Formats: sequence, structure tokens, C-alpha cells
Amino acid sequence: MTVTSTPPHAAAEPLVNGVGDTSTEPTASAIAPWSITVESLGRVYGPGGADAVPGTGPEFGTSVSPTTGAVVGCWGIDLAVAPGEALGIIGESGSGKSTLMRCIAGDQKTSAGSVHLASCDDGATDILHLDPSARRQLRIDQLAVVYQDPAEGLDLHVTAGGNVADRLTAAGWRHFGRIRERAAELLARTEVPLERMDDPVATFSGGMRQRVQLAKALANRPPVLLLDEPTTGLDASVAAGVLDLIRDLLDETGVAAIVVSHDFNVIEMLTRRCVVMHHGRVVEEGLTDQLLEDPQHPYSQRLVGAARG
Amino acid sequence: MSLPTNHTDDRTLLSIRGLVKSFRLHAVGGRVVRGLVGVDLDLFEGDHLALAGRSGAGKSSLIKCVHRTYVADEGSITYRAASGERIDLLAMSDSDVADLRAREIGYVSQFLRAAPRRPVLDVVAMEARRVGVDPDAADDLAAEVLRRVNIGSELFSTFPSLLSGGEKQRVNLAAGIVVAPRLLLLDEPVSALDPANRESVLDVIAELTSRGSTVLSIFHDLDAMRRLADRVASMADGAIVGLGAPDEILEPAPV
Repeated sequence: MTVTSTPPHAAAEPLVNGVGDTSTEPTASAIAPWSITVESLGRVYGPGGADAVPGTGPEFGTSVSPTTGAVVGCWGIDLAVAPGEALGIIGESGSGKSTLMRCIAGDQKTSAGSVHLASCDDGATDILHLDPSARRQLRIDQLAVVYQDPAEGLDLHVTAGGNVADRLTAAGWRHFGRIRERAAELLARTEVPLERMDDPVATFSGGMRQRVQLAKALANRPPVLLLDEPTTGLDASVAAGVLDLIRDLLDETGVAAIVVSHDFNVIEMLTRRCVVMHHGRVVEEGLTDQLLEDPQHPYSQRLVGAARG
Repeated sequence: MSLPTNHTDDRTLLSIRGLVKSFRLHAVGGRVVRGLVGVDLDLFEGDHLALAGRSGAGKSSLIKCVHRTYVADEGSITYRAASGERIDLLAMSDSDVADLRAREIGYVSQFLRAAPRRPVLDVVAMEARRVGVDPDAADDLAAEVLRRVNIGSELFSTFPSLLSGGEKQRVNLAAGIVVAPRLLLLDEPVSALDPANRESVLDVIAELTSRGSTVLSIFHDLDAMRRLADRVASMADGAIVGLGAPDEILEPAPV
């Protein structure tokens, strides 16, 4: 596996402190203009694999296989996200959006399909077939995830600075002073008060934990960022602040982002394009404003109608 | 998708042919509501064309089909891009439309959609930064256009959520025109303004065509159309029923 030295978005962004970073040109890639592509991705919980799929999906009104009883979490999913672009995935609880996210992230095994990153072998390698250690390596600097539950993305017993430093050390940073400096810079950018840098994350509020997760996720300037309900469960005013920060970070870093949310306000604020999921399938995809103002699929119309009244 | 450019003297920027739009409402048994029933319309470079007609005539539907906020059923909308390429907007991928919107096609509605905690100046300046203007120059441009629409510098660091309806509408317009887009779609951009602010905003809109924009607009008041439009297309029941100079199409001004 060869890894391109500089992610495509590395030029001129404030999170960079310049270490080992000389390139200012976008990296050419075999799958350009995409940073990540997902093809025919599927995940079936229970017996049967692909054989469990017939009889499930929106037209049958169920995700449960009538023949094997397996649950089809998601199936036949195709996505592509360009550098600097944010793609939204919207749907109700149980629609399969988090399953899809976890399959892309490698937190869950997939039953079918492939995922390619432009930064990994110029897009030639299906990352789902990398061995587990290579797969973990990707999460350090190529494919970062921000989870709804900060306990999944952070070690809550470790300090905020320590959590970010972990990710830098994993990427090969060795000089203690520089690590600390970079961690402080990242935490400052995500608006974590520096006097809290040496406190365990467990002592932080929910909104502050999400800010630490963002600092850690972006520490090594990954070209692809997955955000799974990043503001769900936060108080409205705290959520608005975190959302604003995410939007600024997406603008500044030019990262390719996939945003999973059941909240149209989050999708509207962060994404230009989105897909609607229902019973494990994509039922509609389009420009975000189009999906909100002129949804075509009966399920999308119901979802937008319920959210917008 | 790309056709060779011919006629270098051809000033047509947008050519709408046979545009049909209906809405299928699945929640009420798939009832179909007609929006547009076959619209043909040409927009020339540097033109300001205003759409007139009663509410429900199809004016917003037409603008939203051009912006691809609505999914058209049939027809074509051929746009001549800055590159000279002629593109059918209805056949473009979502990603390509998003890119084209970011570079060339602006849309200003009557409502401001901005992040709640971004200061007013930044809401406008980021639109300039997005197309590569450096940050200081972007702030200067933003400040200038905000002042032109009567948003004083005392409001620059305020969050838009704290502004009045009329102020929000002016910030929204400022964000939409700080970089004059090649094609600007205006959907009732002065609906919430008092007379004095309305005058200032109409002056700014009037200058847009000389800054290189071609404008397709909806105004609910005839006076704005008379003042700004080179041509007016009158719409009824989803079709264009009249097209000409404002004086030919609009009722005479009340004495």
C-alpha cells in the first residue's frame, strides 16, 4: 500500500503547522475527482448474506428477510464524495444510515461491496479488503470519524491534550514539545479552552467532548471525514455552536465529508448533496435544497413533511 | 453534453424550451398539481428579465427549475457557461450543478439562510472568499455592499439571527451579489423592505447588469419591474402569456 504524501486539501489551511508539508497542488488520482467512492455496499445481520436480500427494502416495507429472518442493515449503496464536498445521509432511526457509516469506517464487517479512497493507492485498493492492521492505519491520517457518542472516538480517562497527542504519535510525531504545541493549536481551533487541555475528557460537557473529538479527528489532516450524528443529544444552543464549528472546519480544510443525521437542519447547513435512506436502501439522492423543497420519493415527501410541517 | 459554440455574436445566455413541471403529492393519493405547462423563454446576456403574474402563475417554479431546486419533468434549459460551453442544466449531474452554482449561478430568495452564529460581515465576506478573493479584500467588498444596502458597520459583528426581517433580507441580498454572479435569480428580494431601504436596494440591483450579471427576477411590485427590467414575461397558469418591454406588458402606473 502506498500512501500519497499530501492529502489534496493540504494547501493553505490554518490547521497546518507546516511540518513536512511542502506541496500546494492537489494530488492527482485514478479516481479523481472523488476522494472516496462506495460501491454496492451491503451489510446483512444474520443468515443468508445476499440470499436474504430479496423481499426486503422500501417496496416491501421491511428490512427483515422473509426467508431467513436476517436483518438487511443496508444494501446496494453507491456514493462518491469530492474533495471539499459534504454529502448528507438522512433517514429515520433504523433506516440503515449508521450501519452504512460503520461499514465505511471499518467498525463493522460488510457483506458486499467496496470502498476506495483516492489517497490510498490512488484509488486502486478496495479498503474493505485490507488486513486489520492496515485498516487501522488508515484511520490515523486518511479516514477520520466523529461519533455521536464521544466515548467511541475518545478515551474519556485521558486528557484532552493526550487524546489529540495519541493521534499525532500514531502518525509518527516524536518531538514532545512539537506534539504539545500542535495539540494546543488544534484544541484552540476547535474552541476548547486551553486551561482545560490537561483535564480528563470525562470532566468535560457534551459539547466540549465533541470539540475534542473534532480536534483529534482532524489532527493529521485526513482527506476524508465521517460525521455520525455529531450534534445529536446536545442542547440546542450547544449543538448550534458545534455545527457552526464543523461548517467552518469543512470550509477551511477542504476535507471530503459524509454527514449522517436524522436532522434536516444539520444536513441543510453542512451539505450540498444528500441521499435519503429507508429500510436499508437509498430511495432518493439529489441536491440538498432540491430534496428539501421538491422531494420526489413518497418516503422523502413524508420525511420532509414531518420535519417541516 | 458539450456542444461546440457557434455564433460568437449570439447573446443568448439561457434558453428554456418546453419546460414542464408538475408536483406529485404522494400523501394525498398521488394527486398531481400542475406547475409549468410548457415554457419557452430566452434570456440575453446583460438582460434583466422580470416575471410578472398572479401568485400561483408559476413564476417561482420557473426560477427554481432553472436553479435545479425543483426537478423539471420535461424540456431543456440550455445555459452558456463562462467557458463558452453550452450546457443543458436539466441533464447535469448534481455535483456539476453544485459547482456551477458556486461559480456562476446565484439565487437570492426572500429569506436568509445563514449559520446562526456567523457575524453579518462574515456571512457576506465568505461568499467572496469562496471564489478566491483574499480575506482582507473580501471583508472590504462585503463592507461596501452592506453599506450600499443600508446595513451600517455597527451591525457587522452581529449575528443574523438577531436582525429584523428587513435587515436579514438585505444581508441575504448582499451575500448573493457581493460577487456579481453570471446569472442571478432573484425571488422577491425586496418583499420585506420599507420604502427607503427598498429604494437603495433597487439601485444596487440596477447596477448588477452593468457589473456583468444577467438577471431573471420576481418582484411583487410593478414599480420595481418598471424600473429594473429590460423585458417582462407575463405568466398565467404555468405558461408565458406575454413578453415585451415593461410598458407593453404591465398595467399603466396609477396616477
